[in-house]
Amino acid sequence: MRSIWAVALNTVRQAVRLKIVAVFIILMLVLLPVMGLRMTGDGTLKGREQAFVSYALSLTALLLALLTIFTAAYTLTNDVKDKQVYTVLTKPVRRFQFVLGKLLGIITLDAGLLALFSACIYGIIVFLPQFIKADDAQITQLRNEFFTARASLAPLRPDITADVNAAYEKLKNAGEVPPGVDQSPVARHNYMAEIARRIELRERAAAVGEELLWEFNNVRPADPNQNLFVRFKYDVALNPDDLQVYSKWLAGDDRQLQLGGIISTPLYQMERKDLIRTTHEFEVPADAVAKDGYLALRFFNDTLNNTVIIFPLEDGMELLYKADTFTANFLRSVLLIFIRLVFLAALAVFAGSFLSFPVAILFCLAVFTMANMSGFIAESFGEDVVGGEVGKAYYYFLKPLVTLVPQFDKFNASDFLVPARLMSWSLLAKLGFSTLCLKALPLALLSMIIFTYREIAKVIV
Amino acid sequence: MEYAIETFSLTKVFADWWGRNRVIAVDDLNLQVRTNEVFGLLGPNGSGKTTTIKMLLGLLHPTRGKSLLLSGDSTDPQVSRRIGFLPEESYLYRYLTARETLHFYGHLFKLPHKVIKMRTEALLDMVGLKAVANRHVGTFSKGMARRIGLAQALINDPDLLILDEPTTGLDPIGTRQIKDLIIELARRGKTILLCSHLLADVEDVCNRIAILYGGKIQAEGAVSDLLRHSDKTEIITSKLAPATIEKIQRIFNDERIEFDISTPMTKLETFFINIVNTAQQQSMPTSGAVSKTQISDFLTGLPDEQTSRKALLDQLVSAAPSEKHADAGTHQVQPQLVSAAPADKDLLRRLTEQAASSAEPKPVVKQPGQVKPAPEQVNKDILDELSGRKSKKSSDNQPGDSNA
Repeated sequence: MRSIWAVALNTVRQAVRLKIVAVFIILMLVLLPVMGLRMTGDGTLKGREQAFVSYALSLTALLLALLTIFTAAYTLTNDVKDKQVYTVLTKPVRRFQFVLGKLLGIITLDAGLLALFSACIYGIIVFLPQFIKADDAQITQLRNEFFTARASLAPLRPDITADVNAAYEKLKNAGEVPPGVDQSPVARHNYMAEIARRIELRERAAAVGEELLWEFNNVRPADPNQNLFVRFKYDVALNPDDLQVYSKWLAGDDRQLQLGGIISTPLYQMERKDLIRTTHEFEVPADAVAKDGYLALRFFNDTLNNTVIIFPLEDGMELLYKADTFTANFLRSVLLIFIRLVFLAALAVFAGSFLSFPVAILFCLAVFTMANMSGFIAESFGEDVVGGEVGKAYYYFLKPLVTLVPQFDKFNASDFLVPARLMSWSLLAKLGFSTLCLKALPLALLSMIIFTYREIAKVIV
Repeated sequence: MEYAIETFSLTKVFADWWGRNRVIAVDDLNLQVRTNEVFGLLGPNGSGKTTTIKMLLGLLHPTRGKSLLLSGDSTDPQVSRRIGFLPEESYLYRYLTARETLHFYGHLFKLPHKVIKMRTEALLDMVGLKAVANRHVGTFSKGMARRIGLAQALINDPDLLILDEPTTGLDPIGTRQIKDLIIELARRGKTILLCSHLLADVEDVCNRIAILYGGKIQAEGAVSDLLRHSDKTEIITSKLAPATIEKIQRIFNDERIEFDISTPMTKLETFFINIVNTAQQQSMPTSGAVSKTQISDFLTGLPDEQTSRKALLDQLVSAAPSEKHADAGTHQVQPQLVSAAPADKDLLRRLTEQAASSAEPKPVVKQPGQVKPAPEQVNKDILDELSGRKSKKSSDNQPGDSNA
């Protein structure tokens, strides 16, 4: 173990003494405060904070990712190229220990730098409201919608499989199913998905004077005195003149009404007028939630309107409630970045264990780009989209490749901190397990095996 | 008999990625280095010396055959902790200071901190780098880098020391010191494998040598045996007056004895060049440089070509040499013309006089036991500390190193 640490410490020294790290530290320590002061977001205090946390964390993650790739690939390939390995590996150091030491050194360096930068970011976020003049409303908004970590719940979705099948049969009997749909499974799958989407949208639409029921299960707010937040967005069939729609809402355990029994938890009612196609939030006291974690929301399309109101599929309706503190959420977000840096370190050490420096860098950057574009790749080349030969190529080649690489774009630290969404420990653990155990660990093991069995010396004759 | 190094049909064949350009760098090498001997591995460039060493140390995989170091596998930590290795160039971490370098290597051996500290200071003192211990190795001259390289090879007090070209880049004094050090280490029971093409170095310190060419051993044995002409007698006297020489010539002529009166010369050089020449005449394959070009003609040319040779030398070396130097250079490489030694020795003397106070160069002795290096060249107390032997005076209060 001591020899591993000796190699690790030497790796840190290398990065520090070669002034790579100094450049990064100076760059970040200048950029972060400037960003904190210059970024305005949408003009509100919350907007400033959101813009800052988003850009600062993304920049930190990106720069550290590049630093990790460069130093990790450099340290191993350079030791082989400049032949320092000759003197190190002829000492009582097993080759896997040498690789492990290198990896550990890079991870230690990452941990130190990430701790430094994220402490700076956290400090700026916390102290920013004191430097900026803002009224109480903005401070309250900031506290409720930024300095918190809110869990998000999607409403229960009814099972529509039977409806989809029935609709398909009906279309088929009417002879309206386009030819070719039943020829290939992919085309049929796409057709059914389209039917399902239409049915689902119909379920989320309310005509004038109609009512919609949203049901939530497992609502467990951390503090019963806190309010819940209903976050919603309207779409309309016909634009109202002032682009606003009227609505009535009822929130609470509405099963009490149906059974006609005793009302044990309160029900809240409100009337609203909201801009269409914009995300809105309103608060519901947490005592509206039933003991079993059930909460219902009834939406009434007011007769004052003259249009069908639709809640979009993606972000039409969700329930948010405070589940943790901002600090804990920030810490988990930083840990998520750290997990990715560990993966990149393992990747670059793996590449460095058998490739030369420029090739290793190219390889790592390709993987890094792929990890950041996995969603885009799936959307662009997915068999649903392309079909045919290209779809097959995607299915057999690109898809396994994307699966091998962690999907950095799927969960981003700023995606959680900007809307103050909870990143739960279980989500972090899940991401950590899949990134570290399933992806980084095999790479690390592979690099140790390769480095153990490869010829270190170049043939010189 | 137990060998410190033993190879069995060690073979290394290099080929490019497609399997073309096959080159046999080391060919069926069976080498035995006995414990507590200074063994010299000689050969021209590309003869397979360094490849052999890299295979011994596990840096290259042999194509065939196998090697044992200290009766074990060199990649086994139990074995490698007893080995010291100085590669052909000092491949060091440029960003570390001399002291940090030795600490780093010490930690790789898992030595106790106290021992690492003690040995680092002693080694820095011994190789003469104490004054620059806090300077980055990247700023060192080649000779200084060589010295710190040697120090790292000795950090673990190795039983087997493998030195690849230890004196390249060193000034004559440094070379002398390293040679004395090797002799002294051998006297303390260490085994040393010395790989070099600097023949004078090898001749001075080695008990046995092997000469490699084309990856094969061309000659092997004790230096004294290999160089001795058993059918001849050599009488070395102080410089004789012409009259005396005439007298001796008369006696020999009367006795009908073939004789040759000359000043003594370095003999290993002749031997070495003969070996290589023989191998080349037999068209032995070699992956290294084959000396058949203009340069080799220049080296073996006849005296009447001296003018052109001098012009070439002037081209190669910017400063014009003195008459004496030019002569020395010419004669050294001509086995037939035997008059180079005095000039050579003069040069060495002048160089050593510049730095060390001792006016006379030490006699070069092949028996390690007889060598008494001057105290300013190798600090014996330090050597005692390093090799684990304590002097009687300090044995009670020496911390750490307990393998005495």
